[in-house]
Amino acid sequence: MDAMRSAASELEDFDAVVQLHRSRVFRFALASLRDRDAAETLTQDCFLRAYRARDRFRGDSSLTTWLMQIAVNLVRDQVRNRRLQFWKRTQSSAVDLELASERILDRDSSPEARALANEQLRAVWSATERLPGRQRTVFLLRFVEDMDLLEIAAATGMKEGTVKVHLFRALQAVRAQIGSRV
Amino acid sequence: MNQHLSSEQIARWMTGERTPADEQHARQCRECGAELARMQAALALFRGSVREWSEQSSVEKQPVWKAEPARRRWGIQPVRWALACVVLLLLAAIPVYRNAQEKQRQAALAKADAALLEQVDAEISRAVPSTMEPLVKLVAWDPAPADREGDSGTNQKGGIIQ
Repeated sequence: MDAMRSAASELEDFDAVVQLHRSRVFRFALASLRDRDAAETLTQDCFLRAYRARDRFRGDSSLTTWLMQIAVNLVRDQVRNRRLQFWKRTQSSAVDLELASERILDRDSSPEARALANEQLRAVWSATERLPGRQRTVFLLRFVEDMDLLEIAAATGMKEGTVKVHLFRALQAVRAQIGSRV
Repeated sequence: MNQHLSSEQIARWMTGERTPADEQHARQCRECGAELARMQAALALFRGSVREWSEQSSVEKQPVWKAEPARRRWGIQPVRWALACVVLLLLAAIPVYRNAQEKQRQAALAKADAALLEQVDAEISRAVPSTMEPLVKLVAWDPAPADREGDSGTNQKGGIIQ
């Protein structure tokens, strides 16, 4: 009960809520849509919806889960609406993604190791791109946002068992893309 | 040595659901240990690249949250209300205007009817036909009392005037 009250009272300072959770929502939107502008719009939309619905938030779940739930729904709608424009966003974001990938690769490692890591990274990106919507959402929430299965279930509206099935399938697809044991 | 970890066991491992038997196998089997390490490294790289890309994008184009959209709507609310009032007034004025027009039309009709009735009355009340009116003016015709009595078509004796 106290947790519910504290979660609901968190919303009183909405600017602080945005400050705290914006990067997470944006990151999830960016990884899902691979389009910076669309991710920004979606993030803004997510907080606008949360702001409008803040009176209805009872604190049944954590604030993070509630916000991610809104973001997941928005991403799903967006993907449905933008399916035909997919090629456009992947082209525009490919350069950004390439630069980001370059930065995280360990500069001190050997060129071979860097090339291998880069190859693995591309394989994961490629695999997630091909995943069905639900599998991709579950995969991103687990491996990028570090959410546990119950939180993912709450955010996606699925049962925990269903989340697990989607996650296993996603992992198998990613592993297949990376290339199983040599 | 047992069989290698299955695809499902590896997936479970990645989600944190590893059994003691799996852990023991991973420690003993170099191949499975390397496979798990490779998957973990790939996922860590992926997480890192998403975070890097996200941070980079945020820095390049810092979107600013504004609760103002909601407040701004309150700002334009008076304009909306004013427009709504004007529309309502116009809608209310249409029947009034139509009613006034109808009244005007009816008044004009009544006036025309009255004029027509007056004209008819005038025609009926004429002593002589209108074509003979100039003659009547020329001859100051003052009918005798007897004649006036004759107007009724009978004399005092009750006989009929020839």
